[in-house]
Amino acid sequence: MAKKILAKLLKIKFNKENREPSVHDSPKTAAILLAPALLLMTFIIFYPLIRAFILAFYNLNLTQPNNTAFVFLENFRIMFRDETFWVVFKNTFIFTFTTVSISLLLGLIIAIVFDQLPKKYAGYRGIILVPWVIPGIVVGYLFMYMFDVEVGIINFFLQKIHIIENYLPWLMRDKLAMASIIIAHIWNQTPFFILMITAGLKAIPRDVQEAAYVEGASRWQEFRHVTLPFLKGILVISSLLMVIRNINNFPIIFTMTGGGPANATTTAAVYIYKIAFEQYQLGYASAVGVIWVFALLALSIAYIKSLQKDF
Amino acid sequence: MIERKFSILWYGALAAILLFTVIWTLFPMFWMLVTSLKTNLDVFQVPPTILPQDPSLKSYENLIFGSTPIYKYFINSVITSLGTVFISIILATLAGYALSRLRFRFRKAISIGVLVTQMFPLVVLLIPLYLLYVKTHLLNTYIGLILGFTSFSIPFGIWMIKGFVDSVPIEIEEAAMVDGCSRFQAMRMVVLPLILPGIVATGVFAFLDAWNNLLFPLTLVNDISMKTLPPGMILAFGGEFKHDWSGMMAASTIISIPVVVVFILLQRYLVEGLTGGAVKG
Repeated sequence: MAKKILAKLLKIKFNKENREPSVHDSPKTAAILLAPALLLMTFIIFYPLIRAFILAFYNLNLTQPNNTAFVFLENFRIMFRDETFWVVFKNTFIFTFTTVSISLLLGLIIAIVFDQLPKKYAGYRGIILVPWVIPGIVVGYLFMYMFDVEVGIINFFLQKIHIIENYLPWLMRDKLAMASIIIAHIWNQTPFFILMITAGLKAIPRDVQEAAYVEGASRWQEFRHVTLPFLKGILVISSLLMVIRNINNFPIIFTMTGGGPANATTTAAVYIYKIAFEQYQLGYASAVGVIWVFALLALSIAYIKSLQKDF
Repeated sequence: MIERKFSILWYGALAAILLFTVIWTLFPMFWMLVTSLKTNLDVFQVPPTILPQDPSLKSYENLIFGSTPIYKYFINSVITSLGTVFISIILATLAGYALSRLRFRFRKAISIGVLVTQMFPLVVLLIPLYLLYVKTHLLNTYIGLILGFTSFSIPFGIWMIKGFVDSVPIEIEEAAMVDGCSRFQAMRMVVLPLILPGIVATGVFAFLDAWNNLLFPLTLVNDISMKTLPPGMILAFGGEFKHDWSGMMAASTIISIPVVVVFILLQRYLVEGLTGGAVKG
């Protein structure tokens, strides 16, 4: 399995070799330039990754470090029978899918609308991108405050416009809590899509758009048959990247709900953190992590493939 | 250029979306700022007031002069973020250049390996990393945190720089080398100035990630005096202070200001970096 994936990875052709080796290439130069980065990455990424795969076969509890034992597949056996593991799987899927698809759609609409504005307003576009750099922990606390049952402005507003009758305990009910964290992430991530899609829109040749207009295409037809095909690559790539990012997302959920109520908003990264650093079951947490590494590897291959196809 | 005819309906729809976008984007940040200037008495008022009744900097004063050593967190954040920027820029530039320009065995394997590392769940790496840090006494150290932060910014930076170097015509460099420059001279005097936007972008991304990172300092630091702002905030507003909304929003504002300033000043590089290098590959 692993061999197959590796073979597949290596077969992927990268950046078609358009440049022949130039003046005096020596492997020694390459080694000198690459060594510092690769050494550091070995220490901080590759070694820990391999160690995580090994730890997955051990029973290692930080509170009883002397009881460490090789248990082979025991962690995986427990995991697949653990209801929480599957709940987390479902949560991660719902959370990631909803967040990315809504952010993508919003980003698309907003990017197109802002693209229609006269050039002199282009500078203001920067302001709508700001949520993207706001620290996750701030986004988490800010939305926790706005969704608060007593002082939250969202309850007040929704009651004012008669959408709800009584204040809702957003962060204390399963589905409402999930909706709340999704909304916070959409606020945080839509700018990324706006940014990428705006860049994509700029790359569409003007004459193609004008030709469509001259031919009598409606606005919708132009969008469907000119804009969308041009944007397809960038939409696929940004979505895949954000799917991967969201599976690994941690700070907003951790601060807003801590994964609660009762695991209703626990996604992959939060779950692994809790097992490892709140219950101190490092072996078991590594086993769960290994499963997610494989899931993400599959997504990464899709990502790399679409990178090549579209650029 | 041909201009489309605009109908009233189309204008109306555009205006509505614009208005929605601006409110949706700015209101939460506006609300954060307003709440930070209110007193908690004010915060709990029903109906809530849009502007503070009597604006006060009390929450900021409490943060700065109170029991929370926020200035210490702030300094720790600045040191670790800048350290991350420094190391990432240097190592990523060297490696990114090599992967773009030089031809050697395993080049593709290394390129893909670097790209794939960005997809790993960092929390999985954190478990062995924690054990490693215990053994090497890197827990509660600046260097430990900085190395942790670079696990994102170095691979990300390498790909960004590689993208930028790819777009520099090799002929320029060859011309310099024919004129008697060594490879390193050509790199420093010809390539480096041309890929400067990519280097700045690498630095900005490294800064943003390090400044915003919660996971690493939360686990790799347990000494209060070594905490950075995000875990410091969890410490300050968890538990009994959970309802000090004004203080929480004041702290949020303090943490956000540096990244927003950096973003506004260097936005151009970020956009260029993302669309020209990193994501495009």
